[in-house]
Amino acid sequence: MLKYAVRRIIYMIITLWVIVTATFFLMKLLPGNPFANASAKLPPEALAIIIQQYGLDQPEWKQYLKYVVNITQGDFGVSYQYPTRTVAEVISKSFQASLELGLESLFLAIIVGLTLGTVAALKHNKLGDYSAMFVALVGISIPSFVVGPLLSLYVGVKAGWLPPGLWDGPEHRIMPAIALSFGTIAILARMMRASMLEVSSMDYIKTAKSKGLSTTAVVRNHMVRNAILPVVTILGPIAVNVITGTLVVERIFAVPGLGAQFVESIYSNDYTMITGLTLFYASILVVVMFVTDIVYGLVDPRIRVAGRR
Amino acid sequence: MAKPILEVNDLRVSFKMYAGEVQAVRGVSFTLNKGEVLAIVGESGCGKSVTAQTIMRLNPTPPSIIKEGSSILFDGKHEITKLTNSQMEHVRGEEMGMIFQDPMTSLNPTMTIGAQISEGIRKHQKVKKVEALLRASDLLALVGISNPHERLHQYPHELSGGMRQRVMIAIALACNPKLLIADEPTTALDVTIQAQIIDLLRDIQKKTETSIIIITHDLGVVAEIAQRVLVMYAGRVVEQGYLDEIFYNPQHPYTWGLLRSVPRLDSDTKSALVSIPGTPPDLFAPPKGCAFAARCPYAMKVCTEIDPGHFRVSDTHSSACWLLHEDAPNVERPIEAGGRTHG
Repeated sequence: MLKYAVRRIIYMIITLWVIVTATFFLMKLLPGNPFANASAKLPPEALAIIIQQYGLDQPEWKQYLKYVVNITQGDFGVSYQYPTRTVAEVISKSFQASLELGLESLFLAIIVGLTLGTVAALKHNKLGDYSAMFVALVGISIPSFVVGPLLSLYVGVKAGWLPPGLWDGPEHRIMPAIALSFGTIAILARMMRASMLEVSSMDYIKTAKSKGLSTTAVVRNHMVRNAILPVVTILGPIAVNVITGTLVVERIFAVPGLGAQFVESIYSNDYTMITGLTLFYASILVVVMFVTDIVYGLVDPRIRVAGRR
Repeated sequence: MAKPILEVNDLRVSFKMYAGEVQAVRGVSFTLNKGEVLAIVGESGCGKSVTAQTIMRLNPTPPSIIKEGSSILFDGKHEITKLTNSQMEHVRGEEMGMIFQDPMTSLNPTMTIGAQISEGIRKHQKVKKVEALLRASDLLALVGISNPHERLHQYPHELSGGMRQRVMIAIALACNPKLLIADEPTTALDVTIQAQIIDLLRDIQKKTETSIIIITHDLGVVAEIAQRVLVMYAGRVVEQGYLDEIFYNPQHPYTWGLLRSVPRLDSDTKSALVSIPGTPPDLFAPPKGCAFAARCPYAMKVCTEIDPGHFRVSDTHSSACWLLHEDAPNVERPIEAGGRTHG
């Protein structure tokens, strides 16, 4: 187990290094420079001083080396956009909202999605199946940038039940979480249904029935646990997607999250911010993948990574 | 005369398909006495498994339907075809146990052996978890698994095929059922393990006096364990009788074919194995007369027209073949007593 974890961590570091390197050089290909907006007003001598101060006059390989060395010491640099704030600060501040929103919507999606999928499979080709799959179809075909404004307009502005935007109390969490979970619900429901149907024709389900167990016991103890396995594998990437925040939903509900920061930093060539955020996204992804593999082993004893308790 | 534990009368089971109705079982009747071992033999797709699973009502309905007029009387009091689902839960596992063909897929991969065995015990006998696990470990010992205590905590993938089949037997026996149905319990196992499993079933039958229905297409298995034999073809019983009657005095050409296709140690020529040419009929539209007529070398005109019905050979032996009619021509059986073939 320990050996496995160590090996995985080494792979994770290599992956992250490749990502940082690629982003660093790709970013330099973007037209313009971080000070393009302000440069018109600055005298060229002042601009030169700033550029020198940030080390942008150095050859790129030197900049790269310096950046990598800094990262390994935990220093992600200072934002070009907001010279008073470090990248780490910005991330930790805006990630809070994204994480919270993401976790809430993920939680919602898992509960609703798995339930819908299970119901659909148990009522295969009956009304329950068709209604659940209709909900899933709606969820997957209506993008969040449609659901979001609609919710905000009707539930928020017109009915006035919930605040149409911003990020203060718990009541501000509900609508963005719903809007964000729509697509995920659909994916999870579909996968769960397919997986449940597959499991229901397995021999061991027949064995379970032959023991005289009730339908509920067969479903709960034998079907769901086996059916959930393939779903767990996609949960990792889905979780990352949701947690790191979809820009659209954050924008619609004016949530101060990561997604908004990311796009702004690209518009303004905020080099340190772009690499910092990319690295952050990437590390969440690899860590979640790692966790998923461990969880997968807990659910399915056959792939328990190594050794026994 | 021993009391019957199971009386099946005119059992008809069909599967409703998009293209029509598959008549998988077309009027099967037989009786199983207490403590008896009955073998059901026949080639693939002749309705053996459907019959067995219908006795436990394990076929999903729909698509399968048990036809009006079918009767399965269990233990003289339960009419299986009429029980509600919740009544059925008390018959399954408690009164009947079932062993399936492929032990690699018939155990739940995400549950420990102990949990899978004790599950049924806890359902039917209302005992505590610890007691059920103790009983499970006794059962594992009964089916010949060493270190039963440790095995309880293992998962199916940690066990070999033969061991898993033993575990399946333990599950089926968990609540001391009166009837054990073994649906091709040895087909998926290699030969040495097959023999062990058959020995085990025979031992258990002696110890517990459970009645057993064993489904197989291996006549070797039949000879090892069964007292009575039911030969099925195309959803019907074509011949039934005691083991000796079927092996030494077979009456139906299909039984002859089955017996002839068994490889023999003492065959004096280097002849190729005999097989029955052709394939079983399509059960979407079963033939009018005898279902075997199309493949039968002795078929007469009447065979394709009228269904033969059962001819009595002795009190315990009957066969559904027109050759037994008094007007039928005398046919020389291509098989000697005990299954030795001519030439």
